[in-house]
Amino acid sequence: MSERNLPFIQVKDLSSYYGDREVLRKINLTINAGEILVIMGGSGSGKSTLLKNMLGLMTPVKGEIRFNELNMCQANKKELFKLRRSMGVAFQGGALLSSLSVGDNIKLPLRQHTNLDENTISIMTRLKLELMNLAGFEDLMPSELSGGMLKRAGLARAVIMDPKILFFDEPSAGLDPVTSVELDELILKLRKAMNMTIVVVTHELESAFTIADRIAVLFDGELVITGTVDEIKNCTDERVTNLINRTPREVQIDGEKYLKRLTEGAA
Amino acid sequence: MSFDCSEHLHYKVLHLTGEVDLSNSSEVRKCLLDILNAGQSVIVDFSELDYIDSSGMATLVEGLNVANKNNLQLMITATNGAPKQVLELTRLDQVFTLVNSIDEIKE
Amino acid sequence: MFTAIERLGTSVIQSLEEVGRMTQFLYRVVISIFGRPFSFNDLLKQIAFIGAKSMPIILLSGLFTGMVLALQFYDALSRIGSSALMGSAVATSLVQELGPVMTALMLIARIGSATCAEIAIMRSEQQFDALTCMAINPYRYVMAPRLLAAIISVPLLTAIYNLVGILGGYIVGVLFKDLNGAAYMQTIIDAISWSDLRMSVVKSMLFAVIIIWISMGKGFFVHYEKGVSGAEAVSRVTTKAVVSSAITMLFVDYIASSFLI
Repeated sequence: MSERNLPFIQVKDLSSYYGDREVLRKINLTINAGEILVIMGGSGSGKSTLLKNMLGLMTPVKGEIRFNELNMCQANKKELFKLRRSMGVAFQGGALLSSLSVGDNIKLPLRQHTNLDENTISIMTRLKLELMNLAGFEDLMPSELSGGMLKRAGLARAVIMDPKILFFDEPSAGLDPVTSVELDELILKLRKAMNMTIVVVTHELESAFTIADRIAVLFDGELVITGTVDEIKNCTDERVTNLINRTPREVQIDGEKYLKRLTEGAA
Repeated sequence: MSFDCSEHLHYKVLHLTGEVDLSNSSEVRKCLLDILNAGQSVIVDFSELDYIDSSGMATLVEGLNVANKNNLQLMITATNGAPKQVLELTRLDQVFTLVNSIDEIKE
Repeated sequence: MFTAIERLGTSVIQSLEEVGRMTQFLYRVVISIFGRPFSFNDLLKQIAFIGAKSMPIILLSGLFTGMVLALQFYDALSRIGSSALMGSAVATSLVQELGPVMTALMLIARIGSATCAEIAIMRSEQQFDALTCMAINPYRYVMAPRLLAAIISVPLLTAIYNLVGILGGYIVGVLFKDLNGAAYMQTIIDAISWSDLRMSVVKSMLFAVIIIWISMGKGFFVHYEKGVSGAEAVSRVTTKAVVSSAITMLFVDYIASSFLI
């Protein structure tokens, strides 16, 4: 049980740029083994960029990302390969390959990376489909699925190899409230039964408060606070309270200038 | 992971020790299918099993299927800890015959 | 005035960046061909896609091109009394130039646009990110089969185009005009040398690489298109791919001809 609190993923002084614009500013974040960390922020806060860096899809301009002792930026091919095999990623739209059926999509990592018998692979796939309430959808093509089903199929693929680390990119986006709650429960069950470390990037408050052990709040590329649900709720920083209370940003109106903007160029 | 076999009444008992995962589930599969194809029923002993992943579970499911087809039995005993949670998560606890200990199997 | 210079500078830099990206892309695709598990299945699927889907258009355009060539040459050659050479003229034009070039153009239209759009959509849906995260090399899994399939199929399709074109010439020359069938074939056999055939094959392989490289590359980098996204980006990039591959192909045709003729 003591292993549970060993840092598993460490983001150190991470900075990222989009052209000249600094999208992430000196992000420091530790994710402990077996915990569920939710990364929250409004649009433009940099949370997608942070996720991409953690997945190795972007190279940090400054700083580093470590998975236990392994520095992702300095890892050689073999180490990176091994690391990726223990990670599962559930993308926003499912990101299934359009030329393969749902079943073949889910079986892809198994067929590429293991020597398991086809029977075993088939049963494993169906077990995951059942878990995602997609029983019977094995032979359909991605184009025949709804958005919610695609997400669940993508999740099935992400967990097919029982990864130690699972990443979610906006799991609740586009899901109806009932499915969203079911997904939250599934995330909790997965962590419990498989002892997974789970990182969720989302902007859905209810989900975040339900599943998170800790929440990291990003605002404009900066990590404002990382803490438990209670700590976040009691935080007095304006940026956090605005996010939680869903206060629309106040736009100061200068009457004269406003009128000018509206009527400029008119006769 | 290691596994060994013993006998209990007319069953073969397959003791699984340690962790069954992608790296070794094929070995378990071969052993299990060999026993079943030789016409013997199997008790899979989970008492020393720390962890089993989906490839391991899939292997047991395949075994159960083969057993049923050949009028044999496949039972699991002494489930606890993580393996028990996996059985519950996958709802396979409603598919397999689960027994608390080998001694309860009298015939 | 400075804005104009600035804009010129920006577009030069952007073009260079794109050339760099595309070259790096081609390199990675070619390297990935030499990796371990080789999926024969994927290769066959792509060959079927390129070959089978293009057959009708190749057959039809080959036939009509051959027939038109025959008419043109017959007309020109009759005036100097050499209409009997029509066969060799048609065959030589086809094998050296028109076969490879026309086949390439038909394929750019049919296969190039479809491939570009497909790859662009895959990029938009994060399918390549997903493959990378699954530790599957996207170059190896998606691009390499297509490149290999093109290198195999295009020369074959070009050969078919040439044959059908020669047939078209036969139809016009022997059936409509008054040429002797056996003489027609003989002039062809006399005129076409191994180096001509080699030129046809080399050109068609070069064109194959150009078509697939540019279509896949443009699609792969669709997210670099400024100011557009989604369907509009895909359509824009597909158009660019078609135009770019056509022009590059014609340019390479000139270079190749100057070396090989």
